[in-house]
Amino acid sequence: MKSKDKIKLFLQGFLLVNIIWYLLAIIVDMRVLPTPIDVYMNLNNLYDNRLHIHILASLYRVALGVGISLLLGVIIGLLMAYSKAWNKILNPLVYFTYPIPKTALLPVTMLIFGLGDSSKVIIIVLILVFQVIIAVRDAVLNISQETYNPIRSLGASKRQIFRYITLPSILPAMLTNLRLSIGTALSILFFAEGYGTQLGIGYYILDAWTRIDYIGMYAGIIAISLFGFVLFVLIDILEEATCSWKA
Amino acid sequence: MLDIENLSVSYKSNKNIVHALGPISMKIESGDIIAIIGPSGCGKSTFLHVLSGIIKDYLGKAALNDTQLNPKIHNIGFIPQNFGLLPWKNIEKNCLLSLKIKQKPITDSIKERIQYIVDKLNISDLMDRYPKELSGGQKQRAAIARAFIMNPDLLLMDEPFSALDAMTREEAQELFIDVWNQYKPTTVFVTHSIEEAIYMGKKIVIMSHCPGAIVEIIDNPLFNTENLRQNEEYLKLSSHIRSISKRGWKV
Repeated sequence: MKSKDKIKLFLQGFLLVNIIWYLLAIIVDMRVLPTPIDVYMNLNNLYDNRLHIHILASLYRVALGVGISLLLGVIIGLLMAYSKAWNKILNPLVYFTYPIPKTALLPVTMLIFGLGDSSKVIIIVLILVFQVIIAVRDAVLNISQETYNPIRSLGASKRQIFRYITLPSILPAMLTNLRLSIGTALSILFFAEGYGTQLGIGYYILDAWTRIDYIGMYAGIIAISLFGFVLFVLIDILEEATCSWKA
Repeated sequence: MLDIENLSVSYKSNKNIVHALGPISMKIESGDIIAIIGPSGCGKSTFLHVLSGIIKDYLGKAALNDTQLNPKIHNIGFIPQNFGLLPWKNIEKNCLLSLKIKQKPITDSIKERIQYIVDKLNISDLMDRYPKELSGGQKQRAAIARAFIMNPDLLLMDEPFSALDAMTREEAQELFIDVWNQYKPTTVFVTHSIEEAIYMGKKIVIMSHCPGAIVEIIDNPLFNTENLRQNEEYLKLSSHIRSISKRGWKV
């Protein structure tokens, strides 16, 4: 998709959501659902409420969580794809732990790693790392042997085969995974930031909620949505730059 | 010279050992072009995979100019049936891949060679396109260009023209022979078309059913002749090959 079409799509979606929101607010007519206009009028107060600091705190946690998950997930995924022995050891572990709802482990991580950032990042990693492992392993295993043949006949080293074949062919799957991971990380964050912190966009929303500051709460929801959207656009740009051959 | 002696290949499949090829022996002079024809599953592709260094597990000898075949030492150009272009590289980068892997600097003389081949195969307008955006015939020409650009000691092709429609195929074959005559690399190609074997093979190797052994090696007098099909010899030769196929490709 061209960037012009994307902007159009974004504007259409934005407008549609706001019209539905506006109509609902008029129909419901309750303080818990203010109209979008009231919320947008209040957006300039957000800077006074130090919203940018909350966003930065959340960004730090998302970036660290997603970054560590990708690093660990790619390494373990490649190990499982390339080595039968490692796959034998790790596969039961991944298979068994994958369906465990890791959010339930938040109390455990907080008890072990404290109330600060590390327990929140660790819970993000625990949730994301398994899907990265499986995505990378399957992407590598899905490369047909034929793809390797011409480069093997050139006498390519293992490193060259990785660089010219493996990496580019798993990249699209990895970017899709990054997209999913960021979406998931934001959801987890909202939950994890409800505990043991006074910073982060999740905390900001929950705090406004308890103070019955509904307008502030909606402003926070808009902020976290825009935050997620900006990250999505960044991935689009990255995809455009590295996988233009797929388009 | 390509020297094959008692070459045989077996592989494991579901704990059974399958004998896929050989033993076969042949000597191929430098600058020859050899067509290999035989029934499906006779190990033709396996043979090419040995020569290209993809299969390393074989018995016997396969030596090029008295050195054991090794893709790290020899320049081996390999054109598989699906052309083997990397979908994530544009045609230009695909064509230069072999030089990059072999870490050869692109000198002026290589640049000249590239220009000549690219012009000859008429793909200069396609250089910044991705394989996905090309037709079968265009991909084929790009694959041929890639193989000739690396100046191969040995050129291998696995049913290189079978994915093309009849019209494109004839054009591509002519073009290939045209470029081949310019450089004359030692070439082995596999085909299931008798016509293609007679048109493009200086020698024609006929192989038997699995495990593939050599039925006959024919010196092809018709190689590089124009208006092939009007030639009387052509009918004789193709009916001879056809009779071997009807007998069941037996030694």
